[in-house]
Amino acid sequence: MPSMTLLGQSLVSGVLLGGLYGLVALGLSLSWGLLRLVNLAHFALAFLGAYLVYHLGTVWHVPPWWAVLLIAPLFFVFGVLQHAVFLYFRVTELTSLLATFGISVIIESALQWIWTADFRRFETHYASTSLKVGPIYVPVIELLACIAAAALAWVTWAWLRWTYVGKALRAAAEDPEIAVAFGINRRGLAFVLSGVCAAYAGVAGAFIALISTLAPSQIWTWLGVVFAVVIIGRLGNPLGALAAGVLIGAAESVAMATFSPAWAPVVSFSVLIVLLLWQPDWL
Amino acid sequence: MLLEARNLRIAYGDATAVWDASLEVAEGEIVSVIGPNGAGKTTLISAIAGLLRWNGGTLRLGGVDLARVPAHRVCAHGIALVPEGRRLFTRMSVEENLEIGCYVPAARAARDATLERVYGLFPILRQKREQMAGLLSGGQQQMVAIGRALMARPRLMLFDEPSLGLAPAIVDDMFDIVRRVREEGVAVLLVEQNVLKAMEIADRAYVLEQGRIVSSGVPSDLLQQSHIREAYLGV
Repeated sequence: MPSMTLLGQSLVSGVLLGGLYGLVALGLSLSWGLLRLVNLAHFALAFLGAYLVYHLGTVWHVPPWWAVLLIAPLFFVFGVLQHAVFLYFRVTELTSLLATFGISVIIESALQWIWTADFRRFETHYASTSLKVGPIYVPVIELLACIAAAALAWVTWAWLRWTYVGKALRAAAEDPEIAVAFGINRRGLAFVLSGVCAAYAGVAGAFIALISTLAPSQIWTWLGVVFAVVIIGRLGNPLGALAAGVLIGAAESVAMATFSPAWAPVVSFSVLIVLLLWQPDWL
Repeated sequence: MLLEARNLRIAYGDATAVWDASLEVAEGEIVSVIGPNGAGKTTLISAIAGLLRWNGGTLRLGGVDLARVPAHRVCAHGIALVPEGRRLFTRMSVEENLEIGCYVPAARAARDATLERVYGLFPILRQKREQMAGLLSGGQQQMVAIGRALMARPRLMLFDEPSLGLAPAIVDDMFDIVRRVREEGVAVLLVEQNVLKAMEIADRAYVLEQGRIVSSGVPSDLLQQSHIREAYLGV
């Protein structure tokens, strides 16, 4: 049995890592829930963002915060163009899996070609700073990632909940035909949402660059966990994605501390299966 | 004339559902279209609502050629649909459903006033405004569907089988509401299987059979025709 300090420390680390899961899950959940497109390329795009932040930071000494401001609009345009291609080829929920798998492989190859398959680490002074609360260390950068995830999830939730555009997006997700009959320009809104999702991938990518080690193949390691997070959080529900991310992150981290690090990958899908079987009211 | 359909032909791919339909609705008029299952009634109303493109003929609303109007702008021209089976946004609240009705800018500007009017017409909806629309009873869901269409401040409301799936006691209420909608100056085009009710309420009616308008006129005259009495009333 690990000490209380170790448990507490792993819980804090897990919650913070979970925030990053939630941040990555956010764009995927929105695109799946509201556009009915399962965007596997979201992970590849996040890593493209991470590499760009890394490159801008190490080669041109652009601080990561400025890099995000550059990358987010760029990715928004990418998302809009991607949606135009999807519309042209009449991509559906099922074929989107295949199409975005292809895009992922292309982006992965591009990353490998430009930055090689070597592991890269973006060394910044933020990365090594920690707050000490009692016996527990709180890494500042991960705390910032978690705060950014919470802020973005809340803003997105409020946008969907209270604005006409948000309501229109939810209505169009449930019954596109009737939504159009009431004047909702579903195609136009889908472009905007696709752009927003891609921009979110860029933001997530910046934090991935600051927190973890980069390698092109890492794209696929995030896939399983984040998929579980998206489903537990319910499709198209930003706050759900965040909460599910934190839940999975904490569960993984505590499992690693109490059993062995090898158990971490089992946790996310175990939690998913248990929740799907149990179907509690609050889910 | 508010709505003018001339020789409409509507097909799903190779399958033609409406061969030749011409009809008119004047301002403030209630017009019924009756016909058996599969005659093309829903197809006709879907085309007028902008959900379907037609393959031949013309469709005009207040003189505007609707062929030039993209689907999501039809509502702004003054047409609102109460669809068959209600088709509410079940995971959204009652009030959110009503707000989708006034998504169009002109209607949105009048949101508060129209919402009051809808709640005045259906007081129960005010009590249930925060509830998920999918959890309401059938009659209440029909009220939301009608309210949603009213929120668009339409000139013409299309009702597609409004009595379908409702308890008999509620069906009468539903037709009363159609009358009240007209009293507010909105024209009504009604598609119904409940022939007697549809005839009772209408100023004029059309009979649609196998994709063609076979007969039209004042309900009392139509009900005298032996074909209609045999086919629809069984007498």
